[in-house]
Amino acid sequence: MIEIKNLTKKFGDFTAVDHLNLTIETGEFFGLLGPNGAGKTTTISMLSTVLLPTEGEIRIDGELLGRRASAQKRKLAVVTQEYSMRQDMTMDEVMEYQGRLYYLPRNVIREKTDELLAFAGLTEYRKRVVRRLSGGMKRKLMVCRALMIEPEILLLDEPTAGMDALARRQMWNLLRQLNGKNLTIILTTHYMEEAESLCGRVALIEKGKLDMIDTPSAMIGNLGAFAVDEMTEKGLTSHFFKNRQDAITYLSQAGDQASFRNTTLEDVFVERVGRHLTKK
Amino acid sequence: MGIITVLWEKWTEFKREFYKITLAAMISPMMYLIIFGMGIQTTSHGEPYLSYLIPGIVAMSTMTGSFSAVAQNMSVQRLYEKALDQVMISPTPLWQFIIGQIIGGSLRGMYAAGVILLLTMPIRTGLIYNGWSFLILFLNGTVFSTIALVLSFLAKSYSDAPKYNAYIIVPMSFLCNTFFSTDQMPSGFRQVVSALPLSQASAMVRAIAHGEDPGTIGWFVLLAYLVVFGTISFLFIYKKKNL
Repeated sequence: MIEIKNLTKKFGDFTAVDHLNLTIETGEFFGLLGPNGAGKTTTISMLSTVLLPTEGEIRIDGELLGRRASAQKRKLAVVTQEYSMRQDMTMDEVMEYQGRLYYLPRNVIREKTDELLAFAGLTEYRKRVVRRLSGGMKRKLMVCRALMIEPEILLLDEPTAGMDALARRQMWNLLRQLNGKNLTIILTTHYMEEAESLCGRVALIEKGKLDMIDTPSAMIGNLGAFAVDEMTEKGLTSHFFKNRQDAITYLSQAGDQASFRNTTLEDVFVERVGRHLTKK
Repeated sequence: MGIITVLWEKWTEFKREFYKITLAAMISPMMYLIIFGMGIQTTSHGEPYLSYLIPGIVAMSTMTGSFSAVAQNMSVQRLYEKALDQVMISPTPLWQFIIGQIIGGSLRGMYAAGVILLLTMPIRTGLIYNGWSFLILFLNGTVFSTIALVLSFLAKSYSDAPKYNAYIIVPMSFLCNTFFSTDQMPSGFRQVVSALPLSQASAMVRAIAHGEDPGTIGWFVLLAYLVVFGTISFLFIYKKKNL
């Protein structure tokens, strides 16, 4: 279990994360959503101890997480937003470096490298240096590197950014499989359909503060599971209804310039963030 | 174990960049030797200038080799590649990472010095190098590796690494007992420059090379630098909030 208590991170006068409180259960697939600059990556960076909190604490299975907490760090693997790898190493070297940092025996490193690179379809590129890989390959390699150590908690900071649709779907399937094996996953993403498809619970954070936390279906239900998009003079406007019949009635009155659909997590995000922007 | 991992990482880099590293270790020192030692033939302290110059160039090579190996590598890893994140999240104790960087950097400095020693071997100077010489060179390398670590943790952008080189390494190369004795400097300035690590390392290596006693002060000065900058680098990696 991960407990985040009053987590705060300030950079000078700017507060990136503001007294964030979260509890993530073991085996949960948890999404951290928010607009650009909301504090998602800063939170992941504190979970990976690259940044230290200004205030507050993170506990993993009751033990405080810090730079000296080797036992807690052993449970964690991170796929960062940026390609955080030695660019002049080959894939094999990247994997070996990771294995060595986690004290894996040489034979285990070799076996795991073979297995994971084959799984990700990267075997033929294993001698190629990272600098010469495509963005999608680098992402896959980062996931392979994270999985090499068989973590209990996987932190994913926009893991599918830059991937094509097929690679993204493959990644989703992999993440579902891993979560099925009781791996705790924390995911930040800009793709709302990704969070909706994968996450059991999501937290919407804005300006470093927790705005709302719930299951995607509950969030959608609260907004209204049915949507009617209507083209008006102001542009495309969405109307949300909890009842299908209400939506259909509205649609029939709206005329040709309206269409009916199911509400998505993206609607929740846009409504929530949009409302905050309007308040400004 | 973590130390071995860092040394392995440095070894892979060394193998990959062997020719570049070797050429970089050779070019500037050889230029100095050719221009000042052979081109402008002169004597110093009653002996051929080359005999004075070579021990200084060897000591300087450990400084430049160690400093550039760590400063460049760490700045790139921390600011550009973000590869330091991989180390930070791993269970490898960070003190082992630091020690590995210091030893690895120093070994690169030793390699640079070794290249110069090999290249100057055909020149019959009668200079002596023994285990103490190499220990001083290693210690000098560790000092400049720790300085490089501290500076790379302070760096705000990738372009800061070359600046540190221009502000620290180049002046030290010319002033610290490499080309001429610090004794010839004006009082006040002389004491400051003499207290710098390269001045001490050069003087000690030169003393041994001429069959003289290197004294003990230099050891203490180098160790003091190592302890101070080593402690700062440990504090940075454990306590710096925004690494």
